[in-house]
Amino acid sequence: MANKVSKTAGTNKSFIDRMGGQQFIVLILVIVMFIFFSAMSPGFRKYTTVVSILDYSYYIALMAIGVTFPLLTAGVDLSIGTGLVCYSLIGGLLVRQYGMPVAVGMLVTVLIGLIFGIINGCLVALMDLPPFLATLCTCMITRGFGAMVVGGYGIPWPAAAQEGGWFRSIFKINVGGQNIPIGFIWIILLVIVMSFVLNHTKMGRYTRAIGSNKEATRLSGVNVKFYHIMAYVICGLFAGLAAIAYSAIFATVQPGSGAGFELDAIGGAIVGGVSMSGAVGSIWGTLIGVFVICLLKTGLPFIGLTANWQQIITGLVLIAAVLFDILKRKKEAGK
Amino acid sequence: MGEVILTMKGIDKSFPGVHALDHVDLEIRKGEVHALMGENGAGKSTLMKVLTGIYKKDSGTITYEGKEVEFHNTREAQDAGVVIVHQELNMLGHLTVAQNIFIGREFKKGIRIDDKKMNEEAKKLFDRMHIDIDPTETMSNLTVGKQQMCEIAKAISHKAKVIIFDEPSAALTEAEIEELFKIIRDLRAQDLGIVYISHRMDEIKVITDRVTVMRDGTYVGTLITKDSTKDDIINMMVGRVIYEDPKTKNMTPPGAPVVLKVDHLNAGKMVQDVSFELHKGEVLGFSGLMGAGRTETMRALFGADPIDSGDIYVNGQKVTIKSPQDAVKYGIGYLSEDRKRFGIVVQKTVAENTTMADLDEFANGPFINKKKENEVAQKFVESLATKTPGVDQLVVNLSGGNQQKVVIAKWLTRNCDILIFDEPTRGIDVGAKNEIYKLMNQLAAEGKAIIMVSSEMTEILRMSDRIVVMCEGKKTGELDISEATQENIMNMATREIE
Amino acid sequence: MESIKQNPLVKKVGFNRIVLCIVLLLMYGLFCALTGGAFFGLRRILSALNYAYFLGFLSLAVTFVIATGGIDFSIGPVMFCCALIAGFCFTIYGVPMPAALLISLAVGLVFGIFNGYLVAYWDVPSFITSIASMNIAKGVASVFTKTQSVSWPQSTQEGGWFRRLVTFEEIPVGLIILLVVAVICAVILNQTKMGRYILSLGSNKEAVRLSGVNVKKWEMSAYVLCGLLVGISAIFFVGAYTTVQPGYGDTYNNEAIAGCVMGGTSMAGGLASISGTIIGVFIISLLQEGIMALGLDKNLQLIITGLIVIVAVFADVVARRRKN
Repeated sequence: MANKVSKTAGTNKSFIDRMGGQQFIVLILVIVMFIFFSAMSPGFRKYTTVVSILDYSYYIALMAIGVTFPLLTAGVDLSIGTGLVCYSLIGGLLVRQYGMPVAVGMLVTVLIGLIFGIINGCLVALMDLPPFLATLCTCMITRGFGAMVVGGYGIPWPAAAQEGGWFRSIFKINVGGQNIPIGFIWIILLVIVMSFVLNHTKMGRYTRAIGSNKEATRLSGVNVKFYHIMAYVICGLFAGLAAIAYSAIFATVQPGSGAGFELDAIGGAIVGGVSMSGAVGSIWGTLIGVFVICLLKTGLPFIGLTANWQQIITGLVLIAAVLFDILKRKKEAGK
Repeated sequence: MGEVILTMKGIDKSFPGVHALDHVDLEIRKGEVHALMGENGAGKSTLMKVLTGIYKKDSGTITYEGKEVEFHNTREAQDAGVVIVHQELNMLGHLTVAQNIFIGREFKKGIRIDDKKMNEEAKKLFDRMHIDIDPTETMSNLTVGKQQMCEIAKAISHKAKVIIFDEPSAALTEAEIEELFKIIRDLRAQDLGIVYISHRMDEIKVITDRVTVMRDGTYVGTLITKDSTKDDIINMMVGRVIYEDPKTKNMTPPGAPVVLKVDHLNAGKMVQDVSFELHKGEVLGFSGLMGAGRTETMRALFGADPIDSGDIYVNGQKVTIKSPQDAVKYGIGYLSEDRKRFGIVVQKTVAENTTMADLDEFANGPFINKKKENEVAQKFVESLATKTPGVDQLVVNLSGGNQQKVVIAKWLTRNCDILIFDEPTRGIDVGAKNEIYKLMNQLAAEGKAIIMVSSEMTEILRMSDRIVVMCEGKKTGELDISEATQENIMNMATREIE
Repeated sequence: MESIKQNPLVKKVGFNRIVLCIVLLLMYGLFCALTGGAFFGLRRILSALNYAYFLGFLSLAVTFVIATGGIDFSIGPVMFCCALIAGFCFTIYGVPMPAALLISLAVGLVFGIFNGYLVAYWDVPSFITSIASMNIAKGVASVFTKTQSVSWPQSTQEGGWFRRLVTFEEIPVGLIILLVVAVICAVILNQTKMGRYILSLGSNKEAVRLSGVNVKKWEMSAYVLCGLLVGISAIFFVGAYTTVQPGYGDTYNNEAIAGCVMGGTSMAGGLASISGTIIGVFIISLLQEGIMALGLDKNLQLIITGLIVIVAVFADVVARRRKN
């Protein structure tokens, strides 16, 4: 999937591999899940359900697209969940408390995400800290920081009808009483852009190369440190974008929340075929994986399982996906 | 052969305790394939590392294209046109062939990487080499041989004028070697200078124009390949002087029972159908060149790596060894060639390492009897004459020879009757070496059965009662010490397999 | 500086531990000064100790896992899960108190076994296993309690006797128990086969395997012991703070890890100090108490512990780099 230049390489591959391997299987899984939930519950077969699945998908998908880059370098970013809440709180505070225009609030939100991305990148690439530990610390720091800045109160970004509420229509517009989830278009656009970045620019090429063999990449004269940091910067940027999506979909943002969001995103990416050991994965795969998670999130209540079950099942799905990846690699190593 | 392109003169290089290169000369001409030969540790790789800037030389000059040069890293050497094709490949397995060849210097169209052009250029390179590799294939899907071709293509794409092949054929099949030779001949025809490091005598005869032989870090001489015989080269490699007294006769008591029998052992590519017997009180030497599969055989036998097929008998009983736990249960101890990684836990004390394999003996229920532990460790420190301030010293602070003694103590504590010494004196200075030798002889005299894997000819001839020679994963000969000479061992170790 | 380090007495006690004790005293002095003396006195210390009890057990728990070269991010939420399930059994199902306490230990044990099995036998990276089990713990607790918070009985109520494990007539029993458990942990780590193997495999797993040791079993044992200690920590958490809410607990992960790495346990594995961990825990607890006493935002604690871990781990990285 890394290059679409020539398809001659695919001649000796199986049907599933030619269709994109794991992504294809997961896409079928998404469809099967959708059919299953629809069959099990009449409530699920509604337009509003589709809209609510999409509502959930935006911020998870944005985080997942971002975290795909650290994952491809064989790292991880655990700070995106609490980070998202922190960025959104600060941006919202500027709008609510200091009366700044919503556009400025949004910009600041993304900017803080970017800054924490740089911090994570430096901790990992320059200071050689283990990625999971470094980002766990920034996870705690963003959580504390966000809550401190707002003083412990939830921040409601402007509602649709209020002044500045226009930003909510980035993701959803109301036409004749019907909600149109146009956010999906932006997600697809961003997936296309980031797919391009991953597959056709130096940035993406070196991200994958670092995950494949960091030392060999360095010996090829690549500025490994810079590109390693950049993977986390992209992740931070997308956590910032996810913060905007989250603020636009949900009425208020609560300080202290956000822990566990990162699991939805990382789980989505891994289910979608991104390997924990780096270098393998695609943005489209991540997107499909995110929909597995979102369908679980929205679908399970329809078959009588509370939202809490979703947490348990996400955990199990994550372990299953990683185990699948480990077994696949073991098989390849034995080949 | 054309004019001289590269001259190395009087190259000298020392590492702490080792004089690795002692005024070595080498001259490469345009349009020649120049073999660099020598036993393991003769200094071939070090010389090439000095050339490509990985090591800094102590003295001597390197003249390249008429100018004196000194490269500070591989990148500089590459840019100047001196490129090394490594034995262990520096590949990014997840990227495509073309992406690997051009990593770090991609063609661009705006911000976009021009993969199309890279594929075309890679294709052109392959066409020039007359080989058929799809530039868009993922690197890890290629065979090792094909990956090697890609490394060569990468070297050529650097506009190389001198290419160094470091044991390129080690992992290749016959057909792939044929292909490699075709490429090398093409490169020669294009007036490149080629350095070819290999152990395979027959290859040297087929592909090279001249041979430079090194021994113990010194330059021995240069021959025109077609005017010299295999024996000429072997004689230069082994030299005439033997520093230590070789054993002249098998010291194993006659009629000593077989304690270990390995029957048609197969494990991966590096262990093919290996069979041998080991007697009580015997030192069985395993000789061969780098990559002959000796260590792999030992690891498989010890359960460290999985066995594909074959039987192992200990004291006449057929045993199943699936993990080191099993091997230790049957009284087999393994002293790895890489002590730091596989032998000792460096951050632990001498005493803790000594009892590592036999902690149950030192435990009352879950608790460790430290007094007993220290006593036993102290006993071995004394009997093995390990130089350490005390048994509570961290092993990391000991010298190589003393670390080795700690590993020996570990297996003696466990009371293993079969000891596998894999390169027992690697990285150990001369004085300590002799002590280790004495110790091994003493252990054999006490009735332990010892397998000694060694790449040092003198060590093999000095210590072994019998010698098994391996070459490319197969056993190629077995000799009693009374009939062994450097020449006939080297002959078996370099023999081409039909 | 070097001469101080080489002093035999300093060497025996450990330079790192001496520095930590000095930091602890300085912090106490600083808080007393900043609060104008209000911080001085037994009340604050006892309050800080309340925090130190459960955090101490958590920190001891994760010390064993870190010693193997692994990590456990699930300890906080698992602690809450233990407290919620056991407490729910007591309050709703009427399970007797001793049984409830055992349930708490059992739940911790189950998570320990789950984590350990995946890490040791299936080679799943420990941080993945533990973030997954963190969520599973939160989910299980919420499902079990139907998302209700659970209050353990007050000391005067039936079953309230368990609080005597924490304090009994002004005597900090909890401290005694914590120290006893710490001593037991130190014995396990330094005097038993289990501890020997845990530290050795954390330092060089392959060399230990090639010595014929069942490394999988011993690696898993560290996680199992971790789970058990987390079960104990839950009892001391509710003993001090009574009420637990489902869905929380993850902030304690970082504090426990901070206590551990500050005390000189290396993230790379193979090196661990129980006494260091305990002093580290006291520092974190005092910090928490100090922040409360000064009326500062309690979220500051999150930020400071985050920074502490970064600094401590970086120091370890630098020290190892210098050694090579």
